[in-house]
Amino acid sequence: MTDTILSLSDVGLTLDGNAGPVEILQGISLDIEQGSSVGLTGPSGSGKSSLLMLMGGLERATRGSIQVLGQDLGAMDEDQLARFRRGRMGIVFQSFHLVPTMTALENVALPLEIMGEADAFARAEAELAAVGLGHRGHHYPSEMSGGEQQRVALARAVVTRPAVLLADEPTGNLDAANGAAIMDLLFGLQERHGATLVLVTHAPELAARCDRVVQLSDGALA
Amino acid sequence: MMLSARIAARELRGGIRGFRVFLLCLMLGVAAIASVGLVRGAIREALSDQGAMLLGGDAQYDFTYRRATPEERAWIDDHAAAVSEVIEFRSMLTRGAGDALETALTQVKAVDGAHPLIGALVLDPPVPMGALGPEGGLPGIFLDQILADRLGLAPGDTVQLAGQPFAYRAAITREPDSTGAGIGLGPRSIVALSAIEATPILAPGSLYETEYRVILPEGTDLDAAKTAAEARFEGAGMRWSDSRRAAPGADRFVDRLGSFLVLVGLAGLAVGGVGISATVSAWIERKAETVATLRALGAAGGTIRAIFLWQLAALSALGIVAGLGLAALVVVLAAGVIEAALPIPVTIALSAGPMLEAAVYGALVAAIFALWPLARMATTRSGALYRAGRGRRWPSWPALVLMAVLVAVLLAAAVAFSGLVGLTLGTFGGVVGALVLLWLAAFGLRLLARRAAHLSRGRPALRAALAAIGAPRSEAAPVILSLGLGLSVLAAVGQVDAALRSAIQRDLPDVAPAYFMIDIQNSQLPEFLTTLDTLGTVDKVETAPMLRGVITEINGQPAREVAGEHWVLRGDRGVTYATTPREALTAGTFWPEDYAGPPQASFAAKEAQELGLKLGDKITVNILGRDIEAAITSLRDVDFSTAGIGFVLTLNPAALQGAPHVHIATIYAAPEDEAAILRRVAQEYPNVTAIRVRDAIARVSEALGTIARATSLAAGVTLLTGFVVLIGAAAAGEGARNWEAAMLKTLGATRATILRSFALRAALMGAAAGLVAIGFGALAGYAVLEWVMEAQYRFAPLPALAIVLGGVLVTLTAGLVFALRPLAARPARILRARE
Repeated sequence: MTDTILSLSDVGLTLDGNAGPVEILQGISLDIEQGSSVGLTGPSGSGKSSLLMLMGGLERATRGSIQVLGQDLGAMDEDQLARFRRGRMGIVFQSFHLVPTMTALENVALPLEIMGEADAFARAEAELAAVGLGHRGHHYPSEMSGGEQQRVALARAVVTRPAVLLADEPTGNLDAANGAAIMDLLFGLQERHGATLVLVTHAPELAARCDRVVQLSDGALA
Repeated sequence: MMLSARIAARELRGGIRGFRVFLLCLMLGVAAIASVGLVRGAIREALSDQGAMLLGGDAQYDFTYRRATPEERAWIDDHAAAVSEVIEFRSMLTRGAGDALETALTQVKAVDGAHPLIGALVLDPPVPMGALGPEGGLPGIFLDQILADRLGLAPGDTVQLAGQPFAYRAAITREPDSTGAGIGLGPRSIVALSAIEATPILAPGSLYETEYRVILPEGTDLDAAKTAAEARFEGAGMRWSDSRRAAPGADRFVDRLGSFLVLVGLAGLAVGGVGISATVSAWIERKAETVATLRALGAAGGTIRAIFLWQLAALSALGIVAGLGLAALVVVLAAGVIEAALPIPVTIALSAGPMLEAAVYGALVAAIFALWPLARMATTRSGALYRAGRGRRWPSWPALVLMAVLVAVLLAAAVAFSGLVGLTLGTFGGVVGALVLLWLAAFGLRLLARRAAHLSRGRPALRAALAAIGAPRSEAAPVILSLGLGLSVLAAVGQVDAALRSAIQRDLPDVAPAYFMIDIQNSQLPEFLTTLDTLGTVDKVETAPMLRGVITEINGQPAREVAGEHWVLRGDRGVTYATTPREALTAGTFWPEDYAGPPQASFAAKEAQELGLKLGDKITVNILGRDIEAAITSLRDVDFSTAGIGFVLTLNPAALQGAPHVHIATIYAAPEDEAAILRRVAQEYPNVTAIRVRDAIARVSEALGTIARATSLAAGVTLLTGFVVLIGAAAAGEGARNWEAAMLKTLGATRATILRSFALRAALMGAAAGLVAIGFGALAGYAVLEWVMEAQYRFAPLPALAIVLGGVLVTLTAGLVFALRPLAARPARILRARE
């Protein structure tokens, strides 16, 4: 029997818009098993990315509860959430979100430094090498291609060996060849580290590579 | 209407959002300059309008050390509608006797019955001028309230002036002919001329000045009157002044201080320029797509530039007008306080001149600093404008030339407005030097931040702070530049002020005499020295014969034409004679003790060098109306900083044979013995005037304090402008901080870590600005102390520490105010906004 690592119960999200409150998500209940991979798909505006942000504690649900590794995210304040993410969650974004003023190596080492790990740089170097960028450690993001930047972002996400890997359309800004390479890398890393992967994607063929596909429509599970 | 103007007008419909820093910077800079200018203008106007009142007549004939002969007086009477004679000297007021003897140094004015020719003396109680006449057997005396209080006098009490009894009749509330500028050594007393004519005060050789103030006949041309007077009194040691420049000392002081403060205000405007440049850069960044679209639609580069220039011109005009309005408001509101603080009646009102000056400075600074980003935009290609991170390009050559021309025009305007080339160029150079130094410091800090990144391993807050400082689009340059300049001016003021005070306090007590005594008659000298000797508390006495003379010619040419406005040539100077040199000779040989040949002079070496004098040169000195031509045969190393006896000019005794003179003495004693010495001298030698060196130094310190306060106030405006720029920079960087905070939270950083990182970068930049300011302050302190004051500079750590702490505090405040929103924001929204 596999353990549930991520559990959402009747989750809803309402945000304030210019024209009044906008209901982004409603009545989402979902359990994700440890070590599995889940593809979140659906049309634009269906709430995929918002759901991913709720799972990462980067956004707060306005209704329902979210349990990750047995912890209720709704009961935590901003700092508790930040501490909780340390070493437990890795997040990859469509726009990479690397710190432009830091080198690739520093970017990868940053989460380990935040955790207070003494060997942050040695581990970061190894992780960069694992994504094929061992020779680019001292380059700044602006000196790298989009594909390379996303590989750095992947290395940064997995360097702490997180139990949960959240990826928000990680190939959205890349061409087909780079996109495919990144996905291979992502699934490879997930498999190697035994992490649970939640992947937001538009592409059915990428979703199909996941153990399970969850479809969203108009902010609800389809 | 031109196309560019029409489009510019449409663009401006959006309001001034995004231009608040631009407008505030310009407004504050213009307001500071206009306020100082308005006050300076009002004082200048008062000095010029009330010239006759301040001088006490249309013109004045001034004789040092003597009164006019009957023939001279007759000539003066013939050329005037009214004449008033006034004799000014320093003396001692005493009250009581024995151990209860109270003394006070005073500047005495002995006036005739015609005084004052213009205006009226305001007295308390309001007695008539006739109250100076004898009444109840005693002549009257009017005293400054301070003197009456110090001696505990009430109207009707008796007080001794130079040993002569006077009845105190009233306190002087306001004198019509007093500028009060400069450093007087004692408060004022007024007596009748007739009351001192028979006393030893006017004995030959005594130090006094006689002024004949005149009302000229209707229609007299001042230039013609001056020429006639100078011709009549040629070689007689007469100095002419007239109502056109009644108080040259005050005039010069107001001019210099006012101009300096305007230049400090200009420094503030330069700081504002950093904000202006940053605002315009951000604005152009926001408008990049509009520009690209306009270009794509076929608009020529000239049209696009014109659109921006129209908008900038409109905004500059708004900022300048707001600044002038603020200045008007401040000056009108503070007019009462300022007028009350000034020693002459001044009416502070709004006038066009200073406003125009401030507006010109504002327009030029806005143009110079706005042109830089505008010119860079002009060299960016259309396609690049659509892309983020457009890269940095240098402005084109013509744009750089235009900016250089504008800087030259600004400099020329500053010189023209102040009329003081040296001061303006010096201050301008200082400001530019400080800006370059600050820019280098910002560059250095960024370099250091990048290099020191490895030191921050394991310290994510420090790593993020160093990364932000070292980044290509770092805030370091605008923050350090804007804050550093204001801090530099404050640090310079602090260092100079502290160093001067400590130089005075540190150096003088060891070497300075306790008293400086003047007016010791020839016949009194031996007895005077014996008295001091018998006291047993006097460590050392030095005396020297003292005459006063004006150096009129150098090698047969008018001295001022040869050597300019050197202080040695300004008015009369002390002259002495000696058989042996008092100081070490640096060149030439001193005359033999029995020398009786043609007059010879020994000159102070440093002053001789400044005047261009060398051995063998001939100088003409007018002493008591007699011209003495002497050859310079030796140069001496005179140190004026010891406050001991030191004469620029020493003549051989025979050259001054027969000239009546007095002696001066410096008395060295322990502070606790000073009072007893003064009492004894005042009792036994009432005609001798004692100047307490510590009091004189206190007056100098007081004057220094006032100048330091005025400069600090002007520097405060610069600092305020810097703060506005900082706030602007912090506000502009809020978006970047939002993202950074969100990113760091995603990676597990707590708000405390993020806040620490923001605080660290602000503190590092503030400290850098503070350190540069200290360096600049120390440099200014060293320059002023070593070169201008010729004293030893010693670094003052306390004001320096205050500057660094101030810098850190200001940047922290500005940085942290804009850190609150990023800290509170939900990461998801910030990150997704960038997707």
